[in-house]
Amino acid sequence: MTDEMTSSVQLAARHLTRHFSVRTPGRLFDAKRVVRAVDDVSLDLVGGEVVGVVGESGSGKSVLARMLARIVTPTSGDLVLQGKPIEIKSKRTLDYASQVQLVLQDPFASMNPVHRMSHNLLRPLRIHGASKQDAPGLAEVALRRVSLEPPSRFLDSYPHELSGGQLQRVSIARALCIEPKVLLADEPISMLDVSVRLGVLNLLRGLCDNDRLAILYITHDIASARYIADSIIVMYAGQVVEQSRGTTLVDEPTHPYTQLLIASVPDPSDPTRDTPPTGERAQTDIAEKGCRFSPRCPHVMDRCREEEPPAFIVGENHTSKCWLYADHEAAVGVALSTRRKEGETATT
Amino acid sequence: MTTESTEVGGVVKSDTPPAAPSTDTTRQVVASTIANEGAMGERILDVRNFSVDYGWGEGAVRAVDSVDVHLDRSTVLGIAGESGSGKSTLVYAITRLLRAPGVITSGEARFNLGSNEDGEHVIDLVTASEAELRSLRWSSISIVLQSALSALNPVVRVGAQFEQVLKTHRHDMSKVERRARAAELLGMVDLNEDRLDRFPHELSGGQRQRIMIALALALDPQLVIMDEPTTALDVVTQREIISELFELRSRFGFAMIFITHDLSLLTELADEIVVMYAGALVERATARELYEAPRHPYTLGLLDSFPPMHGERTELSGIPGSPPDLAHLPTGCSFHPRCPFALARCANETPPLIEIEGSGRSVACWLHVGDDGAAVPVELNRVSTSIASPSERVTEVSS
Repeated sequence: MTDEMTSSVQLAARHLTRHFSVRTPGRLFDAKRVVRAVDDVSLDLVGGEVVGVVGESGSGKSVLARMLARIVTPTSGDLVLQGKPIEIKSKRTLDYASQVQLVLQDPFASMNPVHRMSHNLLRPLRIHGASKQDAPGLAEVALRRVSLEPPSRFLDSYPHELSGGQLQRVSIARALCIEPKVLLADEPISMLDVSVRLGVLNLLRGLCDNDRLAILYITHDIASARYIADSIIVMYAGQVVEQSRGTTLVDEPTHPYTQLLIASVPDPSDPTRDTPPTGERAQTDIAEKGCRFSPRCPHVMDRCREEEPPAFIVGENHTSKCWLYADHEAAVGVALSTRRKEGETATT
Repeated sequence: MTTESTEVGGVVKSDTPPAAPSTDTTRQVVASTIANEGAMGERILDVRNFSVDYGWGEGAVRAVDSVDVHLDRSTVLGIAGESGSGKSTLVYAITRLLRAPGVITSGEARFNLGSNEDGEHVIDLVTASEAELRSLRWSSISIVLQSALSALNPVVRVGAQFEQVLKTHRHDMSKVERRARAAELLGMVDLNEDRLDRFPHELSGGQRQRIMIALALALDPQLVIMDEPTTALDVVTQREIISELFELRSRFGFAMIFITHDLSLLTELADEIVVMYAGALVERATARELYEAPRHPYTLGLLDSFPPMHGERTELSGIPGSPPDLAHLPTGCSFHPRCPFALARCANETPPLIEIEGSGRSVACWLHVGDDGAAVPVELNRVSTSIASPSERVTEVSS
């Protein structure tokens, strides 16, 4: 069982960190400041599962995707592709690219506007070793996989002739045509029309279920992550603040930031609920010391300003990086172990 | 006064100045008094049969097609639709901000400036002169655009941008008063006064959008148009700005037109919602009714396109196909190729926007025309629980 589980982990990231050094605007000779874009993020991308990463702009979710695609070199951390450790400081190899593909937010910007779709699709195929005779056939197969029928019509068209939804499907087809095992989708639906978003989400879910693709789905829309993801990670200021299997995190958020995020989502199905506790004008500054959310947190304690909290276990496969749960962990641990024992006795 | 009047574009304009000068010295509008169109009363904006084309002659593309919208004082009208549905074009045309090749091809947009002892001061924005428009803009109608970064002048400090607006419209204010007013306005949107000395690029997206809102409210307008003001912002910032906006509205009582593609957001904040598809209105209803009991298949599809935050995860289908190309609209109802309930006549005849009997709401769909509603699919015949009158419920049960 465990062997099978570990072998299906396609891409594992351990303690991925990326710091950027920047100058304070207007002060040319001042010491450089470090922006901790991504800090100590670990995750497993498993075949047949969608991992959703939710965060606001600037939370580091796109930098994370680019590190996983090895477009951005991590400051530190490890990547393991199908059990093989990757030398993170080296240049990305063709072999890595053939296994891990990235789909970007804006399909209009990610397609060469002066070339037909056939060019956009055949190029990766040829680069990854398909022969001149095979490539067009493989491109057609890829277009069928993303439900663009008939493929010939799309191969002959230019990017401006297609709608946003169709174009995003082509860019997914382009990523899929070389049969990768991991698909990194960075906000794949946020530029699309509302009515075609679900189509693309359902497509991703289908690829995951039918072709056992491992998908990282990055979004700022927590409802869409709840819709397709098998596990959800919430990022704030470069760190994972809460993660859970399934929809637990959305249904029972524990971290104050996740709670704020969820309370802010428009939800007309619940007209009686109170407006969320945005409270006093939130200070957007990120704390340099202690918990990074502490300046905005409604439950802030003295400890939060001094020490950075570790990720506490708050439930089964559910962790929360918040001091509020420091005493919880022991209690939850006991509860979980008894539940597991009950489960064992029930099965035996 | 009425004897010497000439009719211009459906609005009777007076050649002679009004008998009694306007008591409102700040609004130097040459008021066009309407004669026989009837009083507007509480209505602040009444847009009728409004059409906008892009381009001329053969190549013209109809972006807005015979749209009727209206709103009352201190209410919020939501316009929902996807990109290309004409929702932004509609408000740009109404406010006459539309640039060539956009042309208003028909219709009127009557704006009610309020009444004094002379009666109502109503102006048709379509036929208004540039001078009239200039005095209306900012002071009576203001607009907040989606991208605050491109709406604010990047090389001018925030304070100077307030200064410009106030200097142009409030001649009686001194420099010190203008600065104080700008600081007061920033305070209204929860920003510190020191932001006045910043350049737009030094501020975050949310702060810039707050400044746009403060600018829009600088002259205490009666109507504020919000064109996707929060689309580019994070959901937490969006929530903060929306709640601030509504606090301000309850304080100052301005009417609002709120444009967005996010129907769930609109349901929370609008009084009435109109849904646009391919340049035409397809449905109009109060926000709760529209959300709980949509009548048009497009509205239903749009509502089903937002994954829910509660309950079991079920597969949603959204709307098949993609939004139409305005230059090659399908015949008949523009939505019929994507519509799961399409009838034979939908492909040939365009359904008009007509009121559903006795409900006060309108829909442009053949499913709701004729017969006795027997043909209406269950999904499109839900009863809105929060509004439904007892009599309606009885019929629902008996059928």
